[in-house]
Amino acid sequence: MNAKSIIASLTSKFPEEVYDADIESDIRTVAKVKPDNVVDVCRYLKEDLSFGHLCCESAVDYPGRNEIEVVYIIGSYEHPVILTMKAILPRENPVIESVVPVYWNANWYERETYELFGVKYLNHPDLKPLVLPIEMLGEWPLRKDYQGFPNKTAKNLV
Amino acid sequence: MDEIEQTNVEQTTVQNVGYDDVPGMVLTDTNTISDIIKKTKIQDVLNWGRKNSLWFMVNAMGCCGVELLSTGMAHYDTDRFGIIPRNSPRHADVMIISGYVTKKYLPALKRIWDQMPAPKWVICYGDCAISGGPFYESYSTFQNVDEIFPVDVFIPGCPPRCEALIQGFVELQKKIEAKKDRGTDY
Repeated sequence: MNAKSIIASLTSKFPEEVYDADIESDIRTVAKVKPDNVVDVCRYLKEDLSFGHLCCESAVDYPGRNEIEVVYIIGSYEHPVILTMKAILPRENPVIESVVPVYWNANWYERETYELFGVKYLNHPDLKPLVLPIEMLGEWPLRKDYQGFPNKTAKNLV
Repeated sequence: MDEIEQTNVEQTTVQNVGYDDVPGMVLTDTNTISDIIKKTKIQDVLNWGRKNSLWFMVNAMGCCGVELLSTGMAHYDTDRFGIIPRNSPRHADVMIISGYVTKKYLPALKRIWDQMPAPKWVICYGDCAISGGPFYESYSTFQNVDEIFPVDVFIPGCPPRCEALIQGFVELQKKIEAKKDRGTDY
């Protein structure tokens, strides 16, 4: 399968849930998905389109649009196509379904996105901070309006 | 008939050290002895012994830790200065902060410091330990490590060479010999 047939299959299976699908090149495709249906789309991608490798999962903060985009980058071992899938969440209460039942390696990605952006994942097996201390939970350091950076308390300069 | 001489022994006030079940015995605590020793020449002998057995703890915290590990290997032969790497904080005399201290790691580092028996010294090894280095002004890096630990020697560099670490140890030995180190209260 090439990029065009993959996008055609995805949009014909989910005509309502997947929108703004586009083919950037022969190997890169993008699509946006409704946040409620992200697990169904991921299960269809893994089981029917053989997208078996979740390369990365992260988030992007857009304070101007008042949105947080959760980005899934999904690769395949069968065909040389990478799908960049985005789900747009409101910035005040970003809640999305976890994709750990489909891609098991999303576990730590979602924990890190939770501690850095504050995206809450429903039905996650163990949603707690990954590397940040528990006291910093709630500061969401990678959001654009974070006040703790730069930390000007240092006195020593080398 | 022999008369048994009754001698009146002056009863000195018994210092209260926490246990009273040894009657009539004048007890002292080890702090008093060490305070007396610090004013005499015995402290010079002790410091001579201490400066020649600076066992450091292998606590590789970042990429400077690789230099720290190779300093303890056979190539640099730090045994000639009495500097031996130890794996347990309970055997060590010197803690080398060899990397950035994140806010999550600081409680563990304090715990390691508390596990080390006195006398003990700290060396800041590398730019990250001194100021944060490339992680300066970061949100998760703890700044001003020298406010938490009594740092004796700062070794700048990114990373410093192994010879710089050995020179830092030699500077620490000079400070101990001159009784200028921050690890002991003189």
